[in-house]
Amino acid sequence: MNRPRNTPTSLKSPPSVGGPVLDAQLHLLDRQVIDVDGLPVTTVDDIELEGVEADLPISLGARAPVISALLTGPVLGTRIFGGRPPSSRLIRLPWHDVSAVDVTVRLGVRSESLSASWVERWVRDKIIRRIPGGKHDPD
Amino acid sequence: MKRLLGVALGILTAIGGFVDIGDLVTNAVVGSRFGLSLIWVVGVGVVGICLFANMSGRVAAVSGRATFEVIRERLGPRAGLANLGASFFINLMTVTAEIGGIALALQLVTSIHHLLWIPVGAFAVWLVIWRVRFKIMENVAGLLGLCLVVFGVALFLLQPDWGQLAGQAMAPAVPQTESAAVYWFYAIALFGAAMTPYEVFFFSSGAVEEGWKVKDLVQSRINVLAGFPLGGLLSVAIAGCAAVVLLPAGIEVTSLSQIVLPVAEAGGKLALALALIGILAATFGAALETTLSSGYTLAQFFGWSWGKFRRPVRAARFHLSMIICLVVAIGVLATGADPILITEYSVVFSAVALPLTYLPILIVANDPQYMGKHVNSRAVNLAANVYLVIILVASLAAIPLLIITGAGA
Repeated sequence: MNRPRNTPTSLKSPPSVGGPVLDAQLHLLDRQVIDVDGLPVTTVDDIELEGVEADLPISLGARAPVISALLTGPVLGTRIFGGRPPSSRLIRLPWHDVSAVDVTVRLGVRSESLSASWVERWVRDKIIRRIPGGKHDPD
Repeated sequence: MKRLLGVALGILTAIGGFVDIGDLVTNAVVGSRFGLSLIWVVGVGVVGICLFANMSGRVAAVSGRATFEVIRERLGPRAGLANLGASFFINLMTVTAEIGGIALALQLVTSIHHLLWIPVGAFAVWLVIWRVRFKIMENVAGLLGLCLVVFGVALFLLQPDWGQLAGQAMAPAVPQTESAAVYWFYAIALFGAAMTPYEVFFFSSGAVEEGWKVKDLVQSRINVLAGFPLGGLLSVAIAGCAAVVLLPAGIEVTSLSQIVLPVAEAGGKLALALALIGILAATFGAALETTLSSGYTLAQFFGWSWGKFRRPVRAARFHLSMIICLVVAIGVLATGADPILITEYSVVFSAVALPLTYLPILIVANDPQYMGKHVNSRAVNLAANVYLVIILVASLAAIPLLIITGAGA
């Protein structure tokens, strides 16, 4: 038997939960995030888990980790090239702002208030707003 | 009545919007070297783009998701980014070629050197993207592009030997003056010109821009299934004109003036003027579509706010990225690179990149989570899989043939 060292020999069936079951890899990662007004904010570049230590084996009776935030920004690079950014550099979308998950992730707040949209705001205020006609609907 | 008008308008814009600088140049080059013996490829390409555009339009209308959002979701960040890199690079090449095409057309009209027209053309493209509503932009460019019908008229006025042309088209054979490798190289180029990936980005994003719902699918299907084949006929007419006039005279197409030469010979100044309006509209329309496509692909991959239906301030990074693309295109053209040559390379690389967009769309069009009961029917899947093989073969053979033939020299 060449099972990895940390894998229990017999897996318990997952606990029954109310509501639909989400696969973080399939239903969260790389999904479009849309704010309460229907404006796209970003894509889910990574997920922050709480209640689990990286690189440490998970003990058998431990509580399941919970998602504390969706991550965005430069963290995408670490998913492509590997490595781990320092926690202080992560741009977080707190999980309690998420209102629904279907083919997109919907937020219950406006993107204006989020740190995740600072680049968009910077480009808008420093460049696009200053070009004539940028503030109007197209004719 | 209004609905009928809508359908008619949709078909007409699809016809006029089908041809771009890639189709113009490749068809004329192929016509002048191979007669109509490669024209079957246009047929293969048109069926392919109908199938492909239909699927991506359906995915967009049913799920509200455009192509590159889907690509990232399905392929993950690593393969998705590689895909974005390749697609974006080829798209940028096409933007450059189209803007060069606008400048060349304006040079033919005004006799002012095309290098001077490049910034003007790029600025006009930006202005339309910045200020004009999506629907108007689409319709005006498409309808003016219909002037290219003059190529069909010219073909009749030239009174060619129809039997000989039909013989070339029906029983394709490699001409004695050309080698088999060059023949297949141009087959792939023609295929890439007819099936350029940007049309799919544009089509699916356009469906989101116009807010298509499931009930609009019938009309979109009519637009595609009637408009694209008729647009393909325009391509055939361009190749036919070249086959009748340029092939016997031994003229090789290296500039736009040679492409319109048969039209001028057949119909004089008036026909020439119409052809130039048509070329200008077709390249300008395609420049708009490709520039938007570069913004769409980036914004959809990174999840930025995008779309012409929003004010520019509500989609800031989307608009900034398109401005940068146009500046890069101007920069490339300012080096004096030949727009016709850029076009010839861009259609070949389009063929290389086709599987990158085609496969994810095919997978998602079969995913009930996105599509519900609108997943591909069995007949569509059968055709789609046949095309998957064709596209893969063309994609894999393109680069080796490019090297062996010295880009078709």
